[in-house]
Amino acid sequence: MLDLFLAEFGRNLLALRRYPLELLGAVVTLSVIFYLLFLGARFLAGPGAEFGGRLEAVLVGYLLWTFALFAYTSLSFGLMEEAQTGTLEQVFLSPYGPIPLFLVRNLSGLLTQGLLVFLIAMVLTTLTGARLSFHPGVVLPFLAVLLGGYGLGFAMGSLALLYKRIGQLLGLSQFLLLFLLQAPGTGPFLLLPMAPGASLARGMLAQGAPLDLWGLLVAFLNAFLYLGLGLFLFGRAVHRAKKQGLLHGY
Amino acid sequence: MARPYLEAHGLYKRFGALEAVKNVHLTLHPGEILAFLGKNGAGKSTTVKMLSGLLLPDRGEVHLLGKNPFREPLALKHLGAVLEGNRNTYWRLTPLENLVYFGVARGLRLAAARKRAWELLEEYALLGKAHTEVRHLSRGMQQKLALLQALIHDPEVLLLDEPTLGLDVETALLMRDKIRTLAQAGKAILLTTHQMEVAEALADRVAIIHQGEVVVEETKEGLLARFAGEHYVLELEEKPALEVIKQLRALGVEGEGPFFFRGNAQALWQVLEAVKPLPLKKVAKGETDLLEIFLKVVGHA
Repeated sequence: MLDLFLAEFGRNLLALRRYPLELLGAVVTLSVIFYLLFLGARFLAGPGAEFGGRLEAVLVGYLLWTFALFAYTSLSFGLMEEAQTGTLEQVFLSPYGPIPLFLVRNLSGLLTQGLLVFLIAMVLTTLTGARLSFHPGVVLPFLAVLLGGYGLGFAMGSLALLYKRIGQLLGLSQFLLLFLLQAPGTGPFLLLPMAPGASLARGMLAQGAPLDLWGLLVAFLNAFLYLGLGLFLFGRAVHRAKKQGLLHGY
Repeated sequence: MARPYLEAHGLYKRFGALEAVKNVHLTLHPGEILAFLGKNGAGKSTTVKMLSGLLLPDRGEVHLLGKNPFREPLALKHLGAVLEGNRNTYWRLTPLENLVYFGVARGLRLAAARKRAWELLEEYALLGKAHTEVRHLSRGMQQKLALLQALIHDPEVLLLDEPTLGLDVETALLMRDKIRTLAQAGKAILLTTHQMEVAEALADRVAIIHQGEVVVEETKEGLLARFAGEHYVLELEEKPALEVIKQLRALGVEGEGPFFFRGNAQALWQVLEAVKPLPLKKVAKGETDLLEIFLKVVGHA
């Protein structure tokens, strides 16, 4: 399995090295979207407006969103692309089975995603003057968010596997992610996917709050619940795709 | 005979109202090439997908070296496939990168995959293109790479769906040689093709599927002999008189010279009696080829 991880990781690095404009394009696009929103909000609030700690909170939420976005969409876009280019069936011929293979594929994409989020954070803190306090412990709630994102990603991947053309749905549902990541980490919101982890990360990065272990436990429980659900749905979708002959074609 | 590497029993698949594959039984033994022939839509690809674990049969079972690939994905270690209508490899990667990736994805260790990739690239004369992105390779090279991708983990069973389609003559001949060599080395190969000359050149056994059912399955030699035995070719040194031709027609002889007679050896003497004493140029058992047999079988099935 380690070899598979290294092979997938190598594939990601090659794509990054061979097609750096794709990463650069994502950094520019995602940075510009936030910066335009930021400028718009400042214009509405008036010239003397001060955002205080709220800017940092919103920025952290946005960075989490970009992170979660890749966890959420990468599997589906990957499946759609492979179905279109005609490599999906070869991937399904792996003796590892599709779920372990796609899990490893997701994990190996972390570096690319981490690099992307880091670059966006650099650009946006420079442009907006926001100050983020990077506590190493924040990696843990980020991980919880990511696992939940992968869970939702596997659920959407099920649809991609069965229906192939779900680009519009993915595009629209990205905004739902924004809501989930900005939702407060209290009460019934704790049941929403990714919300507890996102709330924890927001508190740590924007307000310099210490790592709340109880909150972290809840965040991971939530993450594993949605990851488990996503994997279950994906497993069902694989079975159905094999039954109905949907692995081939687009 | 050695235990079959691949066994399929009673495969049945329905898509809506269409019965795509009905009760198909197939076996593949080590060192054997089975040509799996059929018209478009006959059920070839559906069968191949079921054999490779990509399509779940409604009924029936597949065993790869005794293991069911649907219940034990590890069984897929024993299988390599070139699937028709697929690119089979990543076009943004080089042949070397593709082979290493697929080698690992098929269960090899990274170092072993790299070593095997270099060996295959050398053996199949792709060493010079090892670092060229696949999208920049010729169709022949891409097809060769697709075969290497199927071979990277050295599987016992190969499912080759149209491996020589669209290749130039030279590359197609090279691929034929390689496929033959692979079988000689002990691989069990199922070859699906519309190119009858390829099937005839390579196959040990032939299975013809028509409307979802295997209507013929026997050794190539047996099949050719069986169909060849059906007619004789008769050539005369001079044109027979009208009376003689009438007699020949009455015996069921066709053609204007050469003449064709469908019947057994005993009945042939009656024909020879009818042309007596005209000088004979040639009397021979008619030869047939796989194309003719295929057309007869799917035409009469």
